Amino acid sequence: MALDYRKCAEEIAANIGGGSNVISAAHCATRLRLVIADNSKLNKKALENVDGVKGMFESNGQLQLIIGTGTVNKVYDEFLAVTGVSAASKDDVKKAAASKMPLWKKILKTPGDIFVPILPAIVASGLMMGLVEALAKAIPSFASSGWFGFLDMVANTAFALLPVLVAVSAARVFGANVFLGAVIGLMMVHPALMNAWTVTPTNQPAVWVLGFLKISQVGYQGHVIPVILAVLLLAYVEKFLHKHVPEMIDLFVTPLVSVIVTAFATFVVIGPIFSVLENWVLSGATWLVTKTGGIGALIMGALYPFTVVMGLHHMYNVIEAGMLSSATLGLNIWMPIATAANFAQFGACLAVAIKCRDKKLKSVALPSSLSASLGITEPAIFGVNFRFMKPFIAGVIGGAVGALFGSLVHFTTSVDVYNTAGTLVYAAGSKVPLGATTYGVTGIPGLLAINNIPLYLILLLVSAGIAFAIATVIWKEDKKEEAVDDARMEGEEAKTVLPVATVIRCKNGSVLQPVEGTVISREAIPDATFSAGVLGDGVGIQPSAEVVFAPFDGTVSSVAESRHAVGLESNGMELLIHVGVDTVNMNGDGFTCLVKEGDEIKAGQPLIRFSREKIKAAGYSDTVAVLLTNSDDLEEVVCG
Amino acid sequence: MKTFEYTITDPVGIHARPAGILVKKVKEFASTVTIAKGEKSVNALKLMALMGLGIKQGDKITVTVEGDDEEKAAAEIEAFLKANL
Repeated sequence: MALDYRKCAEEIAANIGGGSNVISAAHCATRLRLVIADNSKLNKKALENVDGVKGMFESNGQLQLIIGTGTVNKVYDEFLAVTGVSAASKDDVKKAAASKMPLWKKILKTPGDIFVPILPAIVASGLMMGLVEALAKAIPSFASSGWFGFLDMVANTAFALLPVLVAVSAARVFGANVFLGAVIGLMMVHPALMNAWTVTPTNQPAVWVLGFLKISQVGYQGHVIPVILAVLLLAYVEKFLHKHVPEMIDLFVTPLVSVIVTAFATFVVIGPIFSVLENWVLSGATWLVTKTGGIGALIMGALYPFTVVMGLHHMYNVIEAGMLSSATLGLNIWMPIATAANFAQFGACLAVAIKCRDKKLKSVALPSSLSASLGITEPAIFGVNFRFMKPFIAGVIGGAVGALFGSLVHFTTSVDVYNTAGTLVYAAGSKVPLGATTYGVTGIPGLLAINNIPLYLILLLVSAGIAFAIATVIWKEDKKEEAVDDARMEGEEAKTVLPVATVIRCKNGSVLQPVEGTVISREAIPDATFSAGVLGDGVGIQPSAEVVFAPFDGTVSSVAESRHAVGLESNGMELLIHVGVDTVNMNGDGFTCLVKEGDEIKAGQPLIRFSREKIKAAGYSDTVAVLLTNSDDLEEVVCG
Repeated sequence: MKTFEYTITDPVGIHARPAGILVKKVKEFASTVTIAKGEKSVNALKLMALMGLGIKQGDKITVTVEGDDEEKAAAEIEAFLKANL
C-alpha cells in the first residue's frame, strides 16, 4: 500500500498552521523534524491520524513526525513544495535541542567544538613549523636560504592567521553568518595592523585616537580566545538584529551593524582586556621563576597549559628575551619550564593515541601529539587533552614535575656564558642552570638551543613519561557515549526527546511508548506467557526502529545478561521491557545495552539498541513487550 | 519453615517467561517464599527482583517457604522447578 506522499504532506501542512508557522524543516532517517513558531496552531489529534504519520513527538520546540525510512524523504520533498519552506540541515534543527546542556559544560565543550574542525590545518602547520625551525637551527645555511624563507611562510600561515580559521569555525558553532565571522577574523589580523609577534618593549604599535577612546594598532596573530569571544558577540548581535529588523532592510542593516559593533567591542574592550591579562601573566611568571626557585618553576609548569588554553601564553617571549639580556641570568631558564609543560601534553596526548580504539580519535591524537612534541601544543590541547580533561591534568602534573627538575638541575659549564649584550655572566668551570641560548623553540627542536643535552633529554623523559603514565592509567575511552552518539547519528532523538504517546497509565504514573512502532494489545503479543498477563498487564509494540528509550524518569532495577530486556522502576511502578520473543536465546548477539543496574534514567534516554534484522534472522519475533509486572498491586491501570 | 536447594538445569536460567510462571505459582500459596542465590535473597513474588538475581544454568538456589501451607507450597514449587527449570 503505497503512501500518497503529496497528500500526506498537504495534510501535515494543514494541521500545523501552514508553512508560515514553520521556522525550519528537516528530516532524518525516519522522521520529519519541524521547528514550529506557534505551537497553539498545531492540531495534534489530526496530525496523528494523518495517513503515513506513524507517531508524533514534541521536544524543545521541535515537532517530530515519524513517517518511516525511505518514505520520510519523499514526504519531506513534497512538504517543502507544498509549504514553500526552505530546506534546513538536521544540524540546524538539532542545535535548538542541544542548547539545553548546563552552562559550564557548554563552556568547556566550546573550544573543542571550534578547534576539532580546523585541526587538519593547525596540525599541518604546527608540524611544518616545528620542522622548519629545527632545520634552521641545525643548518645555519638553511636559515638564510630561500628554502627557509619560503617554507617558513608556508608553515606559519595557519598559525599567523589562526584568528581567521578560529573565527570561521566559531561562527559555525555559534550560529553566526560564516562569512561575517570570517570578516571579524580577517579584521583581527589585518595588514594595516602591526603584527602582534613583532611587538617588544622597544617596538610598540601606534594608536588611533577616537575621542576618548584609544585603539592600539596591533593585530591578534596567534590569538584564540579574543577571537572566539568576538565571534560569540557577533552571533548574538546578528541574531538579535535578525529578529527585530524588518525583513526589507535586514540584508543591509544586520551585517553592517553586527560587524561594526563587534569590531568596536573587540578592539576597545575584548582585545585590551586580554593584553592586560597577558601582562599580568607575564609579571607573575617572571617573578615566580626568578624569585622563588624550584617551587615557582613547579607552579609555572603546572599553570603553563592553562595559559595556552586561555591564549595568554604569547607574552612569554618577552620574559625569555629579558632573561637572555640580563647581566645576572644570561640564559633562557624559562625554556625548560615551557618545554616540560609542552612535552608533558605530548606525553598525555600520545597515551590517548595509543590507548584508544576509536580510529577517528587515533587519527587526530597521533599527529597532534607529534606536533606537541615539536612545541606546537594547540592541536593536542584543544583537540584531545582538554576535551577529555583527564589527559590534560596528566599533562599538568607531568609538566609541573618536569619543570621542577628543569629548574633545580645545575651543571658545570665548560664554556664561558655571555648574555645578548655581550657581557660575561658565567665563566667556564662555574655552575650554571639548565637554559636555552635563544627563545621560540621548545620540545624536540629545543635540543638545538639547550646548553646541556643529556639533562634536557632527562627533562623530556620525565615530563612526558609521567604524563604518559598518568594519562594511560586514568583516562578511559568512553564507549557508552560513542554508542549513544551512534544512535544519535543514525537519526534517532537527542537525549532530551520525550516520546508523547502514553501506553500505560496508572495511579502511580504513566509509561510512555519506549520504542517507535505500532502499539498492540497485550493479548496480541506472540508469546503465551506475555499475552496471558503472567508478567503483568501492558502492551506490545511492533517496532519500526531499533532503539528502546526510557518511558519515564526512574532507575534501572535489572538488566538481562543477554541484554534483550531491562527492568525499570519508577514511583512504585515496576516495568519490564522485553525486546522480542525468546530472544534470550540469542545470548546478546544484536543487542547493546546502554545502561546498567542501578543507573538513574530520564525519560527519553536510550536504553537498548537492537538489530531487528538479527532477531528476524534468528527466527524470532521482534515484538517488544512492555509490561507493568506489579500491575496487580497498582490501581487504575489502563493499557493501550 | 521449609527450605530446599535446587540447581538450575535450564540453559537460559530464570529469564522472563519462567520467572513469570514461577511468580504465578508462588502467588497460589499464602506462604512467603524467598529465593536466594548466594548472599542475595529476594521475595519470590517480586518479578523484577527475581530477574535481577540473574540466575543461570548451574546456579544453586535456596528456596525458603514459610507459612500455613508451607508443606504443600514447598513440594509444589520444587516440582515446578524440576519440571521447568
